[in-house]
Amino acid sequence: MKFKKTDLNEVLKTLAREYTVFAPIVENEEKKFMPWAESKDVEMEGLNTIKPPKDVLFPNVEKMYRYKMGLEGFIEEIFPEDTKRILFGIRPCDMRSIDSMDKVFLTKEYVDSYYAKRRDDATIVAFGCTEAGRTCFCESMGLNPNDAPSADVMMNVSADGEDYVLEARTEKGEELVKKLEGLITDGGEAKKDTKCSLVINKAEDLDKKLAKMFEHPIWDKVTKGCIGCGTCTFVCPTCYCFDIDSENYGAEGCKYRCWDSCMFSDYTRLAGGANPRPTKKERLRNRYMHKLSYFNERYGETLCVGCGRCVEKCPAHLDISEFIEKASAAELGKEDK
Amino acid sequence: MALSEKDIELKIREEAKKALATGEVSCVIGWTTTRFPDKMKPFFAETEAECDELVWNKYCINGTAKYALDDRYPSKKFAIIARGCDSRAINRMLKDKQLLRENLYIIGVVCDGKENPICEECQHKNPLTYDVLIGEPVPEQIDEKRFAEVEAFEKLSPDEKYEYWAKQYDKCIHCYACRNACPACNCVECYADQYRTGWQGKASDRIQNQVYGLTRAFHVGDRCIECGECERVCPMGLPIMRQTRKMLKDINDLFGDYECGMPDDAMPVLGGYTLADPDEFM
Repeated sequence: MKFKKTDLNEVLKTLAREYTVFAPIVENEEKKFMPWAESKDVEMEGLNTIKPPKDVLFPNVEKMYRYKMGLEGFIEEIFPEDTKRILFGIRPCDMRSIDSMDKVFLTKEYVDSYYAKRRDDATIVAFGCTEAGRTCFCESMGLNPNDAPSADVMMNVSADGEDYVLEARTEKGEELVKKLEGLITDGGEAKKDTKCSLVINKAEDLDKKLAKMFEHPIWDKVTKGCIGCGTCTFVCPTCYCFDIDSENYGAEGCKYRCWDSCMFSDYTRLAGGANPRPTKKERLRNRYMHKLSYFNERYGETLCVGCGRCVEKCPAHLDISEFIEKASAAELGKEDK
Repeated sequence: MALSEKDIELKIREEAKKALATGEVSCVIGWTTTRFPDKMKPFFAETEAECDELVWNKYCINGTAKYALDDRYPSKKFAIIARGCDSRAINRMLKDKQLLRENLYIIGVVCDGKENPICEECQHKNPLTYDVLIGEPVPEQIDEKRFAEVEAFEKLSPDEKYEYWAKQYDKCIHCYACRNACPACNCVECYADQYRTGWQGKASDRIQNQVYGLTRAFHVGDRCIECGECERVCPMGLPIMRQTRKMLKDINDLFGDYECGMPDDAMPVLGGYTLADPDEFM
């Protein structure tokens, strides 16, 4: 199936009648996923967004319940509204990130009802990259920039560059494609030849190797330049940590959860003030270990998808791809068991 | 004759090795390469061999001085490769009593400006404080347009200004990169990390982002050394220096010519009091 590139606006308009459509929109000098409206400037191709689309399913601030104290006191849950959403045009790396978040929020006996609600309501149209940013290395992490296997609909530019080629892969996807009757025609050959800019040497069993490297001297070196900000975690499509806090006005208030960062000092600060991760060395080690080893141990896959956002945006030019190569090549000492 | 880039690089390596050879220095803080030709990263040379990895080119942009705060009570000295801005940063932290001069060995390098827009406005290409200097001092430029941008901005109406900053802070992701890169942000514990006080909410929304932006601007307002690191590191591209420049312009208007991070740096104007201070508000 395919539709003409020039019909993109029509397609989005049609979908927007029944869904809230989050598309890559350029506004306020920033490209990000936000609800589509006719006046918005959609940019399907070009480089990926700086901020990942994870906030559509896992907002950076989410009110959970409100309350009032006193005689007229109450507690009232705030639950995500019934909104059918489409995430339109997310890249394979970001789709794979959502697969990881699904594992975190929906499996291992605990279902996060807020995430589950948004996830159930969402249909995802992934879009094959047409251009790789200079920090893109998803192929080295086992992904394909042209294809997102778990998407409801996979979309690519056609070989002749005139159309967008669609493939519905799930029931949700088929339902979505049905809405586009009249705009789509059969056939169309997808162009799937985009290559990552960076190819890195990653050891096959890096996750198991890292598990033995907690005390390895590599950490002293690679963490020195870190300035301890949260940039890498907030631009990361797979960082899912949150904190819960409250906002009070007199006797009333609400509990909310918001994104947290393991790079911050208070992330592991205990009630008495002690901190088991006192410096950037312990914090960054935890971040890299989580991405490349701990997550593998628990869920059987790597949590770094190679999107390259942190590599591009790190103020100190730290580079997780460089770390992967260094750790892959590192020799284990006798302290590494 | 002025030294070439390559000459300076070799001199930096030579001075770094000399510093380490004294046995009094634990590491030399400078820059080295990354896999990207236009990104040099902060580097910490601890051995003679590592000194040969130090580089000097127009992409050596990151500030080096603040890394000295990683260990406030070091057993050995830090050697810092310091350009004009880094030397001002060091003076800032010395004046704020966050560092001790005897714990530093400063390798000053005359800087010709980097691939960084803020360098076009630089008034201190020559390091102001150093133990050894590489390169011949150059005449300094007075940046006539230092406050031009602020002056233009001041002409907007309050609503227009609010609209502008609200939009900017809607982009903010609350990562604190601007704080962490800033040599004037040298508190042992930042107010924003003291969550239980309720001063700074953790949520990244319009209100909390703006509260943070305003507080940051006022906290560093009279101590900003104008290195522009805050703006460079912002992943969302907020024009943060515009706030600090506004603070500096007001301070210049109220208290006379003022620049921060000079070797004879007087008390920050907002941190001290003299009888001559303007007091129309009383």
